Amino acid sequence: MELLWIVILAGYAICVAQSVLALTTRRPLMQRTSLVALGVAFGAHTAWLVIKGIRANRCPLVGTEEMSSFLSWSLVVSYLIASRWYRAAALKTFVFPIVLALATIAAISPDMQGGERAVNQPLQDVLLPVHVGLILLAYAAFFITFGAGLMYIIQERELKNKRFGTIFYRLPSLDTCDSIGSRSMAIGFVLLTLGILAGLWFTHARYGVYWQGGPLEIFSIATWVIYLLLIQTRVTAGWGGRTGALASIVSFLIVVCSLVGVRYLGHG
Amino acid sequence: MNIVLVGISHKTAPVEMRERLAFNESHLHDALGELVDQDSLEEGLIVSTCNRVELLASAPSGADRGLGRLMDFLCGFHCLEPGALNGHLYRHADSEAIKHVFRVTSSLDSMVVGESQILGQVKEAYQHAVEAGTIGRVLSQLMNRALHVAKRIRTETGVAQNPVSVSSVAVELARKIFDELSGKTVLLVGAGETGELAARSLIEAGTSKLIVTNRTAGRGEEIARKFGGGSVSFETFYDALPSSDIVLCATGAPDYVIRSAETRKALKSRKRGPLLFIDISVPRNIDPSVADIENTFLLDVDDLESIVNTNLRERKHEAQAAETIIEAEVQHFNKLLRSLDIGPAVVEIKQLLSQMAASEFKRNRKRLGDLSPDQETAIQDVLLPALVNKLSHPLIVHLRNAAREREPNEIIDQLRKMLRID
Repeated sequence: MELLWIVILAGYAICVAQSVLALTTRRPLMQRTSLVALGVAFGAHTAWLVIKGIRANRCPLVGTEEMSSFLSWSLVVSYLIASRWYRAAALKTFVFPIVLALATIAAISPDMQGGERAVNQPLQDVLLPVHVGLILLAYAAFFITFGAGLMYIIQERELKNKRFGTIFYRLPSLDTCDSIGSRSMAIGFVLLTLGILAGLWFTHARYGVYWQGGPLEIFSIATWVIYLLLIQTRVTAGWGGRTGALASIVSFLIVVCSLVGVRYLGHG
Repeated sequence: MNIVLVGISHKTAPVEMRERLAFNESHLHDALGELVDQDSLEEGLIVSTCNRVELLASAPSGADRGLGRLMDFLCGFHCLEPGALNGHLYRHADSEAIKHVFRVTSSLDSMVVGESQILGQVKEAYQHAVEAGTIGRVLSQLMNRALHVAKRIRTETGVAQNPVSVSSVAVELARKIFDELSGKTVLLVGAGETGELAARSLIEAGTSKLIVTNRTAGRGEEIARKFGGGSVSFETFYDALPSSDIVLCATGAPDYVIRSAETRKALKSRKRGPLLFIDISVPRNIDPSVADIENTFLLDVDDLESIVNTNLRERKHEAQAAETIIEAEVQHFNKLLRSLDIGPAVVEIKQLLSQMAASEFKRNRKRLGDLSPDQETAIQDVLLPALVNKLSHPLIVHLRNAAREREPNEIIDQLRKMLRID
């Protein structure tokens, strides 16, 4: 497993280096190398998750190691989907440092062999990983929204200030940033909704009630409400463009800060 | 076999002289026929554009003779005194000529480095020469290689990447905002020639709708009809702002035509994406503070021209990388050319071996005993040629490989010695 981590981290590190370097030249740089590195690292990462799951005989979504690993894997998946839909190579520069950071956290976190596993509770056995997996995928999608928002703001500043340098040429068009933002937000919102529903069902199956009022539950609902409002203002009040981009950046930061607060300052 | 080239271009001669030397398309076939005399020039090709006139040929009897013949032909065809072109004409032979052809085709020698027109013009010139029957194995190899090199340089370097005209830069910037221009509406304020040209490039780039406004309504309507768009009166054009995506302003007015306060008011209820103002008038017709309105972007002539200049510099920088490719390709082609030159040597080797085989058969005929006429014919027509082919094959392969590195004549001499023939 250690060898896999070396391959994964090296691959993602190459992607980070390439994506940062690419922002400094107007012509594509080291594209093939980076593509191969991404392919190998992503393959190894997927293999790691599968092996981990088989060895522990459950979904690899328990503890910091597995959750960080899955979240960084989800980010790569989100990036791959976004780059299939849009020509936005610059998104990599925003996504891969986080992918690498999360993968590093996973690699240095202690190995979680056992983990929570309800015996003879097939429903709970399925619902918990579905809940955690969907929520993590939703966060990955929201991170793409955040990245697209950042790209929008930077590109908008370059245009307003008439700075037509390499960054301007490497970043996608405003419309593309906007479109990536709204699409990833919509997908994230659906995933979050399903994830929360799975969570409620799981709570009911285990504790007999849907709502316990814990900080994590309140946090999830708050996140859901924030993104519902974001989508609603985008659709009805025409909050696209700069305002929409800013709003999605701020929302994501609030969500991440409160998640960290809830997990590490609250009772986790 | 030598490759020779003479020509004049925008770098060496003024336009009057280029015009004087140009080859009209209707005369091209005759000219090509006249050029190739089969003695000093075996193949020929003429590239004649507004920026250059070049004659390219393969010369079987030496570069100097070939170049002399090209000069005589050029002066003779255009009824010029010999020496009238002194100081304007360039002459290249062999590697230099190959390099020049590669550079021209790849648009490194063009007035605007990286422009794509020259490639089409070279292709056309080649086609004319093929039709006139003045292309043989040397020039066909050279021209195919030149087209390959041009393609390689376009994809591997950035010489042709960034737009270098004001209207194409405007289109590129619009794409940095809207990505796809289809479905976008252009409002053209001022229906003069400049505005019309810029509007045309936006329409060609895919914008869907054009609205024209002009102080003289008639002219505005005329342009609108031309591009299948609509027109609005000059007094009410602010009303068209909310439904527009790109506003192109090119009037001859001495002051601002699009003012900030009115624009702000007009855009208040606008729920569309960004709005791009392009001001290509001098003096400027759009108040610069329009750029302070949210979701609007403003570009003026200076912005566009500064990008044009940056892109030109970028292309020149990329051209250095292209020159490295050219050097390598010239070397590669020289090797290829040398291996093309082994054709006569191959014939010679086969003849020698056939003669040897025939004389050995004759000498040993008696020892072969009784043979029916059929058997004798079979030996002479089947066995001996098969043997000659079998024996000459490795020699030819060796010759072809060695010719890539050395002069074919040297190798043929060596082979002669090996086979003990004088």
